[in-house]
Amino acid sequence: MEAQIESLRHEALAAISAASTAQELEAARVKYMGRAGAIPALSEGMRTVPKEDKARVGKALNALRVDVTAALEAREKALADEADAAALAGIDLTLPGDAAPLGSIHPLTQLLDRAVRIFRRMGFALADGPDIETEWHCFDALNTPPDHPARNEQDTFYLPDGRLLRTHTSTVQIRTMTAQPPPVRIIAPGAAYRRDEVDATHLAQFTQMEGLCVGPDISLADLKGTLEFFFLELFGADTEVRFRPHFFPFTEPSFEIDIKTRALSGKWMELAGCGMVDPAVFEAICEQRGDRAYDPEVVSGFAFGFGLDRLAMNLTGIPDIRMLVENDLRFLKQF
Amino acid sequence: MKISLSWLKEFVPYEGPVEDLVALLTRAGLEVEGVQQLGADFPNVVVAQILESNPHPNADRLSVCRVDDGSGEPRQIVCGAKNYKVGDKVPLALPGAVLPGNFKIKVGKLRGVESEGMMCSARELQLAEDADGLLILPQDATVGAPISDLYPPETVLEVEITPNRPDWLSHLGVAREVAANAKLGVKIPAIPLPPTKVDESQARTEAVEACPFYSVRRIRNVKVGPSPDWLKRRLEVVGLRSINNIVDVTNFVMMELGQPLHAFDTAKVKGGIVVRHARDGEKILALDGKEYPLAATDLVIADSGRPVAIAGVMGGEETGVTESTTDVLLESAWFAGSGIRATARRLDLHSDSSYRFERGVNPEGVLAASERAVQLILELAGGTADDAVVVAGELPKARAEVTLRFDRCRRFLGVDFSNDQIADALSRLGLEKLSDDGAGSVWRVPAFRGDLTREADLIEEVVRMLGIENVKGSLVARPAPTTPADAAYDEAMQLRRTLSSLGFSEARTSTLVPLASHKGYSCLSVRNPLGEEQSALRPTLITGLIEAVGRNLNFGANRIQLFEIGRVFAASTEEEVGKVGLAMTGQKSVPSWRNREVESFDFFDIKGIVEKLVPGVKFAPTEHPLFALALEVKVGDSTAGVVGQLAPAAARELNARGPVLAAELRLDLLSAAYQVREFVPIPKFPAVTRDFAAVVARGLPYGEIERVLAEADESLLCEVRPFDVFTDDTGAKLPANQKSLAFSLTFRSPERTLTADEVNAACDRLKARLREKLAADFRE
Repeated sequence: MEAQIESLRHEALAAISAASTAQELEAARVKYMGRAGAIPALSEGMRTVPKEDKARVGKALNALRVDVTAALEAREKALADEADAAALAGIDLTLPGDAAPLGSIHPLTQLLDRAVRIFRRMGFALADGPDIETEWHCFDALNTPPDHPARNEQDTFYLPDGRLLRTHTSTVQIRTMTAQPPPVRIIAPGAAYRRDEVDATHLAQFTQMEGLCVGPDISLADLKGTLEFFFLELFGADTEVRFRPHFFPFTEPSFEIDIKTRALSGKWMELAGCGMVDPAVFEAICEQRGDRAYDPEVVSGFAFGFGLDRLAMNLTGIPDIRMLVENDLRFLKQF
Repeated sequence: MKISLSWLKEFVPYEGPVEDLVALLTRAGLEVEGVQQLGADFPNVVVAQILESNPHPNADRLSVCRVDDGSGEPRQIVCGAKNYKVGDKVPLALPGAVLPGNFKIKVGKLRGVESEGMMCSARELQLAEDADGLLILPQDATVGAPISDLYPPETVLEVEITPNRPDWLSHLGVAREVAANAKLGVKIPAIPLPPTKVDESQARTEAVEACPFYSVRRIRNVKVGPSPDWLKRRLEVVGLRSINNIVDVTNFVMMELGQPLHAFDTAKVKGGIVVRHARDGEKILALDGKEYPLAATDLVIADSGRPVAIAGVMGGEETGVTESTTDVLLESAWFAGSGIRATARRLDLHSDSSYRFERGVNPEGVLAASERAVQLILELAGGTADDAVVVAGELPKARAEVTLRFDRCRRFLGVDFSNDQIADALSRLGLEKLSDDGAGSVWRVPAFRGDLTREADLIEEVVRMLGIENVKGSLVARPAPTTPADAAYDEAMQLRRTLSSLGFSEARTSTLVPLASHKGYSCLSVRNPLGEEQSALRPTLITGLIEAVGRNLNFGANRIQLFEIGRVFAASTEEEVGKVGLAMTGQKSVPSWRNREVESFDFFDIKGIVEKLVPGVKFAPTEHPLFALALEVKVGDSTAGVVGQLAPAAARELNARGPVLAAELRLDLLSAAYQVREFVPIPKFPAVTRDFAAVVARGLPYGEIERVLAEADESLLCEVRPFDVFTDDTGAKLPANQKSLAFSLTFRSPERTLTADEVNAACDRLKARLREKLAADFRE
């Protein structure tokens, strides 16, 4: 019996190590360990073993079972490892990746969104107004005299009914103040239109960002702090901001803002207009509202505006403003 | 406007470098757009005469010249130019001279021959942009004289003047600003005002609102001729052409003091002067040689018979001063700005004079300018002036009195300037303090500052003088509640991100579109477009996007997905609506080494995108002017937009190789996609899926199967998904008038694992229903 066990051990272990596929290994398992296999058959023979030998032979038989099982597992793992290695061998990792293409968000939108996020951190909410405006909202309420050059048919698009396409987003200042009492802290990005012939630096339609802050005791210092914060956030801490006295009919005092920053050529660049809301604008609002909520003796405020198209061009090095509206995918996908 | 630095310095003793002056003016709000250096200011560059010219022994292209530099000792100069001849006078840079670009002139050898200096071209002296060869000087130039004698150095500032500051439209005005900012005195020439007299037979105004004040002074026996060099040069430097001594004086005084003047030839003016509005049919030949038809709104200066000048804009040719003039009438007037502006614009005739009157001239400078011009005319052209100026009307009142509250000023600016600082700032600008009780002060504004009428105007002057750099920025952030515009903005940004992750790139097309290519829409049009291409406000985003698709196809793109978020316009109660537009064509995926067979986008790709963007979307068949295939997109009962495929012929016109698809959706109806969602429990029990193939009439839409199944109200059925549509035109596998629709049905119960029996029973019920309602045949 013991001799049988030893010979079976040799045979089984040899068969297992000779198995070169999962199928051969399974065949070996069935042959030796299966229900009708050689080892269970040998166990049957235990009944004929003399009593005094039973413990010793049983132990030897058990050892055989353990060794064959271990050999099967080891061989199974070895075969799996070989198969795995074969499956991965020879894959050329230098071939390019291959994923569904992404789209892109327009560079102007990306800049606008950055600007919106900065102002929102300062507690500005968004406001909105129509592109088609009345002369009152676009000019009269903004203290622009009836014979002001901007009101010319040469410079402004008019509709047949006498309304016009807003020439600046400052109209949203008027829309907002006529609709709600102070305090006001809004920004209004949007389209504006001027009757310019299209060339490398001009479009008849452009994108502006307007801002207005009105409340009791809003001062020029608040204007300066707010816009300095904005431009430093937008362009980085090494940015210089210069306020240069200027003239706009709807603010007094008025300033143009020049920026000097490495992000924009390192030279002074005129980027925005701003100022303290002119008392005449508040008076026009009071008259329209029929109350004194915007009495210039009680509230003060600042307003600002800047164009996003040229800013986007300057920030990204886009050489021609028309590229912003040509919608060439080779352009759009760059951003 | 051009400001000559030397002229400016006649009024203000400013001695700093020009860069500092530019910075000062910029800080004051007077934008300097450019600084031009005229003339040649180079020490050691002199006029020299070429005495002889010989070939260079070692170089074909060079010559060796002997030149006279005025020292009496001829110099040897090696020269490469060819454009001179012996005897010419040229600029010579002597050793020690420094030319632009820090080019130092030294004695040196050129190809072995010594050169004791360099003869210069116009470009080397920055007198011209490009000039080949030597600058040949006039024969009467004095040999040895510094080149700056011939080209006197002059600095010219090109300044941009804001419309609120007409007082800056003169050298005196800019000098005042420099003086105020640099804390210098301004030297105002003392001009004694002449006596005035009213004589309606010589001058009267019939339009007192448009012309409140008019004056003429007669000067007899003048000798008209060329102006002296100094006057010519003054005018040339500021960009004016010299005409004759009389006209030049009027222009000079305008540039000096800001008051436009005009001189008539008395002999050609018939009778007295009347300021009146033009009469119907009147015309005038103006000094620019053009004839202008006049309207009743135009103010004119007329003699007894006809207009002799377009008031404040331009004089008439027939009464202008010429060489033969001996007797002049010098006009100085104050015209109201709005009338001048209207006429200048109507006639499209803009002059230095109209520019100044439009913005407003100093009422108190009208007679002073007249007198200044008379003095200059007498000096340069001789003659005698009548004792008195003939005047008509009255000058408008200047010198407003304005109150300034010191505390208000500080609060408004947000900075603690002291009362003294504030008062000093205003005084420097020529304002006169009338009273001051420590809290408030009353100021008299100088006559040339008509723009200062309110407290806010004075506060602006205070911060201009004391400098905004002395205002420390402050930040007062306060929370702001979300507005509808905030919500709309956030939704639009989210939509952009979703679309870009689906492969779409954001486009921006023009709001202004051609009316002709939007015939089917109720368009709003522009009254004064820049051309047909921009004549209407876009009624849809689709046409612009399709155009962009076409452009990209022509650029060679083979996979195009574009979107735009923007406003569209319609002549209806809803005039402006925010929409998102989509357009796509080309390859559905990028061909790669794994995947060489690439399908084209078709209608179901864009329909699928719309299904993703609009939760709970429904579709209804529709007709659309742009599309051959179109579905109306519905949210509840509202129309949210349209999705469609361009007619194949239109697609071919774009050079598309496959279907061109587009959609347009209202943004406001997409909001549901951005609302807070309610949690739906994750199913605990497994689903059972069964596949079926129903053979139905070929014309039966799949939607009918979905409808019939939904109407069955089978509570365990949770999903119907079609996975194959099969037809056979040959009739071999399936009769040609039938089709096989394969679909899978998914069943699930939230409470238990389903048994095969109950699923089978449900399937049998559904199949029976499809047989009954749609005559469907199921193949096992």
